[in-house]
Amino acid sequence: MSKKTEGMTGLSTWKIAFRNMQYHKSKNILTGIAIFLTTMLLFVVPTVGKNMMDLQFAAINKVYPTWHALFRNVDSQTAEELAVRKDFLKYGLRSDPGFLMEDGLTGSMLYLDDTAVELMKGELSSGKFPQKEDEIVVSKGLLKALGQEGEIGDKITLTYQIERNGGLDTAQKKEFVICGFTPDSETGIEKKIFTLFVSKAFLQAEVPEEQTAYRFMFQLDGIDNSNTEQIEEKIKGIAKAFGILEKDMNINKEFLAANYVDPAVLPAIIIIMVVIMVAGMITIYSIYYVSMSQRIQEFGRLKAIGATKRQMKQIVLREGMLVAAIVVPFGLLLGTLVSKLVLKLFIGTGMVVSSEAEVMWEIIDNHEISLWYPWIYLLAAVVTFVTVYVSLLRPMKKAARISEVEAMRYQAGTGCRKSVRKGYEYLTIGRLARNSFFGNKRKSMITILSMSFTGIFMMVIATVLSCADPVESANNSITGQYGIWQHVEENNKEHPEWAWSEIQKNNPLNNELKAEIEALDGVKRVDVFSSAKISGGPFLEEVEVPDIWGVPETYKKEVEEGIIEGDVDYEDLLSGDKVIIDTPLLHWYPELNVGDKFTVRIHDGENSYEKELEIAGVGDYTYGLSAGNLVMAKDAVDNLCSSNISRSFQVVADKNYDEKLANELGNLITDKGILEMETWKAYYETYKNGMELMRGACFTFFGILGVICVMNLINTMINSVHIRKKELGMMQAVGMSDRQLGRMLQLEGLFYTAGTLVLSIGAGSAAGYPVFLWAKKTGMFEMSRYHYPFTVALIIMAVLTVVQIILVLFLSRSVKKESLIERVRFSE
Amino acid sequence: MGIILEVRDLVKYYKEGGGVVKAVDHTSVRIERGKFTAIVGRSGSGKSTLLHLIGGLDRPDSGKVIIENSDIFSLKDDKLAQFRRKKIGFIFQDYNLVPSLNVWENVVLPLGLDNRKVSSAEVENILDKIGLLDKKNRLPNALSGGQKQRVAIARVLVSKPAIILADEPTGNLDSQTELEVMGTLKQCVADFGQTLVMITHDENIAQMADVVIVIEDGKVVSQS
Repeated sequence: MSKKTEGMTGLSTWKIAFRNMQYHKSKNILTGIAIFLTTMLLFVVPTVGKNMMDLQFAAINKVYPTWHALFRNVDSQTAEELAVRKDFLKYGLRSDPGFLMEDGLTGSMLYLDDTAVELMKGELSSGKFPQKEDEIVVSKGLLKALGQEGEIGDKITLTYQIERNGGLDTAQKKEFVICGFTPDSETGIEKKIFTLFVSKAFLQAEVPEEQTAYRFMFQLDGIDNSNTEQIEEKIKGIAKAFGILEKDMNINKEFLAANYVDPAVLPAIIIIMVVIMVAGMITIYSIYYVSMSQRIQEFGRLKAIGATKRQMKQIVLREGMLVAAIVVPFGLLLGTLVSKLVLKLFIGTGMVVSSEAEVMWEIIDNHEISLWYPWIYLLAAVVTFVTVYVSLLRPMKKAARISEVEAMRYQAGTGCRKSVRKGYEYLTIGRLARNSFFGNKRKSMITILSMSFTGIFMMVIATVLSCADPVESANNSITGQYGIWQHVEENNKEHPEWAWSEIQKNNPLNNELKAEIEALDGVKRVDVFSSAKISGGPFLEEVEVPDIWGVPETYKKEVEEGIIEGDVDYEDLLSGDKVIIDTPLLHWYPELNVGDKFTVRIHDGENSYEKELEIAGVGDYTYGLSAGNLVMAKDAVDNLCSSNISRSFQVVADKNYDEKLANELGNLITDKGILEMETWKAYYETYKNGMELMRGACFTFFGILGVICVMNLINTMINSVHIRKKELGMMQAVGMSDRQLGRMLQLEGLFYTAGTLVLSIGAGSAAGYPVFLWAKKTGMFEMSRYHYPFTVALIIMAVLTVVQIILVLFLSRSVKKESLIERVRFSE
Repeated sequence: MGIILEVRDLVKYYKEGGGVVKAVDHTSVRIERGKFTAIVGRSGSGKSTLLHLIGGLDRPDSGKVIIENSDIFSLKDDKLAQFRRKKIGFIFQDYNLVPSLNVWENVVLPLGLDNRKVSSAEVENILDKIGLLDKKNRLPNALSGGQKQRVAIARVLVSKPAIILADEPTGNLDSQTELEVMGTLKQCVADFGQTLVMITHDENIAQMADVVIVIEDGKVVSQS
């Protein structure tokens, strides 16, 4: 006898494991499905993650500018000081001296130095960048929009406004010579947004040197071994050293992420893979654990005929590994197909912006990146085998420990070694089911725990996703269904009427317009918000200067309920001396506290006066309600100024969106010239598109994990019926009807289902709330209110209950396939 | 006394290895109420199949089993199960106790399935008679073979069936225990006035019966 078969019947442990695999077909099919799904997920997650990153990075490198960061509003002296630093590999200057003054289109006039051209990928379709004062680069689309024609060397006349003295100056006309053309983008033509390049000579001639605001863009030097976090820190450090404000700093995060390691990405993928591994491990372990009790006699017999502990372990391990070896290739194969589908879904359904998606399709079609990597196949296979190995450690140990005598005496179905049990005086079907469930608490608990693993995760994710409801986000962004605002722009010499002081004199948001809107079909009411401009006090122009925001009494409840600090109510806000600071404003002025008093200058048309205000509270409001301002009662704000300071009409309508009403409102405001309208629907669509795929991806992922874990329920129920085939037959022999048997099995299943639901939904709900608080704090999905994920909870309940009912029906039928006497005679 | 059980021209064939095994072959039997009837025969003679058919555990190819004027095979599965728990009690060779239920629970199980009330005094009386009252909380794995079979007997007695069917109830027991169990069974059947049909290949036990039916190749060859 060889060493391998020492003390045994001549069969090697491999052969015994193989025969066992065939004999315990149903259990191994379940284990196989769990391993198959685990492999597939372990392959799909890193593949899609890597593909998305590669595609995005390739697309970014094609489309995005290559600067690491830029500082806005940099004067020429600061630019010179920055330039002498050794931190920069290269730097360039950009300035936006003016805008075209044409109705219906936006044309930005840009000056770029040579390095800025390179860093911004400023490519021309023909010609050269302007050198002389009257040279200009335009696009064909712009010329068409202007109703002009021209080629390189032709002259065109443009009307434009130059940004000087803190605002846009009066319109100027000038004749330019076309020296080049920029390519047009589809979006640019559609939205009529164009870029024109002018020369340094033009900039210098039009804007005084001391008023020129540059954008200083740069690439850092010596950061090859840094990650994105370290690079961002370095950029912030430079900005701080030069007194550049956070709002004037723009870090090209997409470009950095595409070219440097983002320390958050790898841990995220690892965490997801660990979750999959743990789910797979718990399921496979649970399937083996539950099956072990059925096989104690089988292992006992092997021991009795001489199998050593090592051989016992080998038999269990090899049986599991054989199953894995069969299903892993299929898991990888399906993963290959699924990963491409998921990738297409991600790109095709709006998870990435359409301009990037176009480039991504191009990259895929041109095979510029590889979609599948051999190392991911290897990784998924190795991780799966490790998962199976770890799952099998305890069953191996258990098999090795089985004592021959105990195993032979073991009675399947008791699952415990107790000799005495205080029972019931009389029995019912419910008690029989309860007895079976609690008879082997450990087995039952392991099944429930393993099934709940996914459930808990699912509830936590569902909590976050339900709090990120697009309806809620839209509600947070706009108070009514339609918001009407004035277009306010200070210091525009060509449009002095856009200045707030001018608007106040003849405010179009007046009672007449209000009455007209209220008369429209479908309008419930119009809520008017007022705004008083202030300056001075603790508020700095270069940081953020708020308005005093007058909230109408209709929102008294919201104002009072949103107070998170301070003892103040709406009545107090009517005094005109007390304000509530909202949390976004507090972010800019963290030094402000409840009780602080300060004096600000109130601007009332052409006049202004000083007034002392007291911060009476801190409010956590939706953006639509307070918009980063100091909140006061509307009547009090109105009293601060002599003119009409209505700033916004919030139209509350019967429906969230009514095209007819939207058109009517549109027509009404078009006549008023400077009014603009935003709609609840537009906000909703924006949020919905953003969240939909995220939701789909999360639930698909957890759905597959759920299937892995449902394998447990199936295995436990099949085992519980198979192992007790004789017992059930005997119960039927003494009079249990088929209906009673079905009811008993349903009740047993219900215990598992109920246990899983209590744990999943209970623990998942409990864990969901702190996760929501964390997500809210970090600004994730702009969520503001906690929403219990009732739908997901109901879906989990329904799915588990239906699975259990179907499973028991199937099991009851399969039991009946054998005659009663065959079941009574059944012996393992 | 009257006839409690009548088997009419019962047939049950099995396919095995390409051939047909005639387990019960056109058998007819009549059993009187209150009598102890032993069915004897060699291994493979078809006695167990006959008993299982009488108990409705298996369905015949043809023929009838009539218990207290009811043709049991005209009943649907659920009705047959109900009939079985009211009228028939089984005692198996390997006891067939529910391992997760204690002695008391195993005994009251048929009553529970039939939604019948449990008279604690009655159950205690039966357990006392079979000598297991002090072990009523024991699980089957803590009982000896004889004790397990006595629990099986108590389970039958408590539901007061019209007829008790015993399939070699002492087959797994040593001779001393066999005598004890048979004594208990006979005494209880007598005390409770029940009809007992027992399969055995043990001549000594057969001699204890009121009627002995001999089966060979699925046919009744003698009844005395």
